[in-house]
Amino acid sequence: MSMVAQRVTQRTLNARVERNLQRNVTHLSKLQEQLSSGRLISRPSDSPTGTVSAMRLRSEIRRSEQHHRNADDGIGWLGTADSALTGALDAVRRVRELALRGANASASAPDRAALAAEAGQLREHLLSLANTTYLNQPIFAGTANVNQAFAADGTYQGNAGAIGRTVGPGVTVQVNVTGADAFGSLFTVLANIENHFSVNTTALNTTDLTQLDQAFLAIQDSLAVVGARYHQVEAMADRSEVTRLDASNRLAEVESIDLPKTIMDLQLQEVAYQAALGASARVLQPSLLDFLK
Amino acid sequence: MSFDGLRIALSSLQAQRRALEVTGQNVANAATEGYSRQRVGMAANAGTVMAAIHARPTGVGQGVTSTTIQRSRDQFLELRANQEHAAIASLAQLDGTLGRIELAFGEPGDEGLGAQLADFNAGWDDVGNRPTDTAARRQLVERAQTLVDGIRQIDTTLSSIRANGIEELQALVVDVNATAVRVAELNQQIKVAITSGLSPNDLLDQRDLAAASLATAVGGAVRPDGNGMLDVFLGGTALVRGSTADTLEVVEGPPPANVLSLVWAKDDQPAGVTGRAGALLTTANDIVPRYRAELASVATRVHDDVNAGHVAGFALDGTTGRDFFVWDTSGYLALNPAVAGNANLIGASSTATDTRDGSVARGIAALTGAESTYREVVVRLGVETQTAARRVEIQDAITSEVDNARDSSSGVDIDEEMTDLLLYQHAYDAAARMLTAVDESLDVLINRTGVVGR
Repeated sequence: MSMVAQRVTQRTLNARVERNLQRNVTHLSKLQEQLSSGRLISRPSDSPTGTVSAMRLRSEIRRSEQHHRNADDGIGWLGTADSALTGALDAVRRVRELALRGANASASAPDRAALAAEAGQLREHLLSLANTTYLNQPIFAGTANVNQAFAADGTYQGNAGAIGRTVGPGVTVQVNVTGADAFGSLFTVLANIENHFSVNTTALNTTDLTQLDQAFLAIQDSLAVVGARYHQVEAMADRSEVTRLDASNRLAEVESIDLPKTIMDLQLQEVAYQAALGASARVLQPSLLDFLK
Repeated sequence: MSFDGLRIALSSLQAQRRALEVTGQNVANAATEGYSRQRVGMAANAGTVMAAIHARPTGVGQGVTSTTIQRSRDQFLELRANQEHAAIASLAQLDGTLGRIELAFGEPGDEGLGAQLADFNAGWDDVGNRPTDTAARRQLVERAQTLVDGIRQIDTTLSSIRANGIEELQALVVDVNATAVRVAELNQQIKVAITSGLSPNDLLDQRDLAAASLATAVGGAVRPDGNGMLDVFLGGTALVRGSTADTLEVVEGPPPANVLSLVWAKDDQPAGVTGRAGALLTTANDIVPRYRAELASVATRVHDDVNAGHVAGFALDGTTGRDFFVWDTSGYLALNPAVAGNANLIGASSTATDTRDGSVARGIAALTGAESTYREVVVRLGVETQTAARRVEIQDAITSEVDNARDSSSGVDIDEEMTDLLLYQHAYDAAARMLTAVDESLDVLINRTGVVGR
């Protein structure tokens, strides 16, 4: 008996069939795992580059969410400052009217007393506006460890510290204006005006008025700064939301299965498996024994 | 007319019967692992060629003898198969280990260390936004604790993968030592059988199977010594030489490296093993320590980056210069116990007095070094595991080719055996007919000749 070609024995056939079926089943189980988990990548070796993209995108999503939270907080600060400063402008405007009426020679003493009383109330109102808090933090006190930005007598207790919010990668926006910048010597001017109603009416429409106008401008400037920052932070919040959505979409692309494609693949694989089973059954069955009598 | 015909027929009957028996043995062992098909070697007996005074040779032979029963086995393919099986055993073991390490890291996902690092960073931002808010500070401490625990958990899993590998290796070595002794014993029996002129085919099969399992377990080269015995060498030193076997031992080196090695019991010299044992050694000495070091580098990065920012920060009580992370007694990353106990000691502010300043905390939140270091580790793990899996696939194909080739030379084919069965049976029938023919001829000669006119 000479051996020209490779002998193929039943064992060889068996081993080959077993191996092929095993490979088929492995593919099937991989596809089923993908379908049931909905994920294309369930371990780094499924796709090392896909894994690093997925991790980077997850981190980006988390970071964008945090930037959005930071921006929301900043919007809270700036919004509170905006309404406080707008209220302050109205109050200062009213004080200006009172001062002008007080300076009018025709005003009687009781009138002046009433004007002085109203000016005093407006001063209190302005003081409370300057002591506005956001989440228990006085927004005009800088970074100082105080509960009120201004003392009852109108002295500034805060500092010039800036409070920033990280609203984007490497983007920090200052979300406070300090009391010194916004209100400056407003409370001294107000105290003067209150006094001058009874003693020095000429000062009311000269030096006091000038100083009051300066204070008004300072508040207006601060309001403009707050408004500009508000828009910036709002824009950054929108942008981080867009970044988050974009990263989420890309993560889905990298990590999630294409459902129709995976279902098709699974069906193809099932057909292939059945074909392999059928072929195996035919190949393994016959032997010479079936034909010997 | 001589009686030669009877003797020829008899020799044929005997030879065919023996061949039938061997065919039966082949069929019986068609599914036996390690069995090599056997063939009866038959040789025609030559007739006498020397002329004698009163006799001249007829030139007809003297029947058939069944000389030997041969194993059909290709020694070269056996060696090759041993090598390939050692390689697949090693690669599959490594692939399994790396797969378990991947599971330990649990990436990519929302529960892995990557997510914990991101949460930890976000916690710093929250403290930066509300430096005086104790809740934000407590939350940061909790997240830091989760991160520290996450690192420790992965490291513990890695250590247990190594410990399991060592246990597996110890069990394997016990098995190898027993198998080596068995090979040596079989060698001895084979030598005795061959000296007595027998064909110890089934002993040879058993011995070769045992040697093959040695090759899978520890690698090694198999060399026939010419007397039917087989020597097994590990890197130049004999594990089995003739009828003697040596013993292997697992030895763990001193800390901190705890290098694991497989040594000869006789002289404590390291043995050159491959196969599954080689892969287990690689697991214990290279793969696991390497990924533990990678993980430690991530921990170091977290420790260094956060501390560098944190020492400059001022706590709510105005104190500064404090570390956020420390190394605990077993070398793991841990929270500074003072900070863990009192979250107000987190240094978020850049000055001693301005407690509402959170710029230091926000600065720490912006650090991304540890996350990218960690991503690199995961990518390296992914690539290494993927490569290992591919090598297993390739080696699997090679191994099955070699197995097929080996089977092609030594495997039992039922169709072939059936054909042989037909051949031997017909030959037997024919020899019987021959016997009858000679018998009838002699009957004619003895009983019916010379009876004319009786």
